[in-house]
Amino acid sequence: MNAAPGRSRRLAVTLARHAAWMLPSAPSSWAQAMRHELDYIADDSAALRWAFGCMLASYKARLTHWPRFSRWPAWRHVATSGALMLLIGLALQERAGGQTEPPRPGFDETTCDLPGVSPEIRPRLRCGTVSVPRNYDKPDAGRFKLAVVVIKSEQQPSWPEPVVYISGGPGFPLTVYAAHQARTPYAPRRDLILVDQRGTGKSEPDLCPDLAGKLLEAALAFAASATEEAFATRQATYLDCRDQAIGRGLDLRDFGTQVTAEDLEWVRKALQIERWNVYGESYGTTVAMTLVALHPDTVRTVILDSIYPPDPVPLWSTTVNDARAAFFANCARDNVCSMSFPNLAETYRETLARLDQKPLLVTVPPQMRQPDDRVMLTGSLFEAVVTNLLYYPTAYPDLPRVIQSVHDGEPQDLGQVLGPILAAQLATAATQNRATHAAVECRDRPHYRQDLPRQDLPADAQGLDRRQLYGVCARWSDVGPPPLVPAGTRVPTLVLAGQFDPVARPALSRHVADLIGGSARFVEFPLVGHNVRQFSACGAKIAADFIDHPAQKLDTSCTDRTSPIPFLPKRR
Amino acid sequence: MWRHGYDLSKETGLKSGTLYPLLMRLSEQGLLESRWQEPERSGLPPRHVYRLTATGLVLAREQELEAVAAERAGALA
Repeated sequence: MNAAPGRSRRLAVTLARHAAWMLPSAPSSWAQAMRHELDYIADDSAALRWAFGCMLASYKARLTHWPRFSRWPAWRHVATSGALMLLIGLALQERAGGQTEPPRPGFDETTCDLPGVSPEIRPRLRCGTVSVPRNYDKPDAGRFKLAVVVIKSEQQPSWPEPVVYISGGPGFPLTVYAAHQARTPYAPRRDLILVDQRGTGKSEPDLCPDLAGKLLEAALAFAASATEEAFATRQATYLDCRDQAIGRGLDLRDFGTQVTAEDLEWVRKALQIERWNVYGESYGTTVAMTLVALHPDTVRTVILDSIYPPDPVPLWSTTVNDARAAFFANCARDNVCSMSFPNLAETYRETLARLDQKPLLVTVPPQMRQPDDRVMLTGSLFEAVVTNLLYYPTAYPDLPRVIQSVHDGEPQDLGQVLGPILAAQLATAATQNRATHAAVECRDRPHYRQDLPRQDLPADAQGLDRRQLYGVCARWSDVGPPPLVPAGTRVPTLVLAGQFDPVARPALSRHVADLIGGSARFVEFPLVGHNVRQFSACGAKIAADFIDHPAQKLDTSCTDRTSPIPFLPKRR
Repeated sequence: MWRHGYDLSKETGLKSGTLYPLLMRLSEQGLLESRWQEPERSGLPPRHVYRLTATGLVLAREQELEAVAAERAGALA
């Protein structure tokens, strides 16, 4: 039986409660931390000294949050005297903030409602939700339910450390692709964990449920024609969405890569996984790097496929110019390509100039929702098209011919090549939650608050950069804690980069690998674009080998056996 | 390694009134991370634990190197 607490202990508890109450609301977890710590101090007088110090800490924090007052000397006196007066009144002061305990991680299993799941795959799936704190510093600020799918390895028993795949975006769903993921394992004998990041797929919250269509429409209209009017419409739609979300009680500060990384850590605990192998792709690398930096002991290996590093990052137009130059240089070295298209780089520049002078009317897929399924192909739009084609190795054989035919004013090749690719891209684009994309990027990326630096850009590049979130973020939310690079980590790290990647250049990935240090290995894949593993069997093999044997020397010889691009010659 | 607030206080000689503001500031600057640890025995609440982030470790190492360099410079002067 517990003895009744003594007078010192009771006073200590009262002081600690007062400290919690005095602490500004933002760091409420600190208030709980101070209060809970008291229960671990056995000696009553030590507990009292501790609680008194906590109260002083709360006053300091409170004064720091009121800088105008903190600079006023008389206020300091008042604050000190006030603290003493409050001390006397404390015995009567029973008001303590936030009694809620932090929620515990747990996995609530549900039935699997996923498309395309065959009878062979179904028994391997476990679906459910994990309820995470909206704000890890405010355990009583509510929760979001995240959708989680565990795909058991085809061969059983599986190894103890599964793979968690973190997809790109931000804003794309993941669990909906569970059937595809089950068919393409990252490493044999390892279970695969898929999580819809907060604000994506089946995970809460849906920021702007009735504005998804308008956001996509505004983005497509702006992509088709980068006018000031389209730019303003897009901005206004984002701001409508922001207002709606806030009106529904959502706090846009509850987004960002650090909180997403904490969500994954919460999911790991909920699934009672000791350590896992982390595979990040595109934006997923941002989350993966942050996760490794925050929780290195929980990660057995990490693969960073097509790195999107924290700010500062080069302008997209600079990155794209570099990727295009690499592709044109490859054409110049190839017999078929260089004979058919002797100076592709120059032809491309001429094409942009011609389109700016005289845009071409071209037919586009109906999904673009353009009047009569036609758009005016300007230099800016054509640059966006060529950039998109660089993502896909399947488009490389056609690309020089497409550029030449548009240059010659005969865009039929463009329609043929572009039709299926654009249709696929649009189908994917429609699944992205653009509000979540903005919510995460605006917290992570200070550069979107700056004016777009126009003076050094070629005219054709502005449209490409303007498609990003400049003009949106400054009015969306505050900048949050930044994504992290696990500099000096001991976690075995593999960095994959595609030679023609138009968003994640190999040089930047190599630079990040250098920052990570001696634990990182870097492999560049020739004739590949973004997301190496998806488009390169060689990349998939190297990744699987690495996960199985991270300490072994990597066999990267398959990169030397890459077949040249089967370029199509010029049309006669 | 994760540390408790009271242990840190005992090890550093900082009283809680000084320690917590420092911990909060380091945390705001992304140099310190914290998490809740399960209770050590039933009847006790979860406990906050702290450790330096990767950035915090790098900064700590830099500070250490700078201190060594300053010491050496002092010795040579």
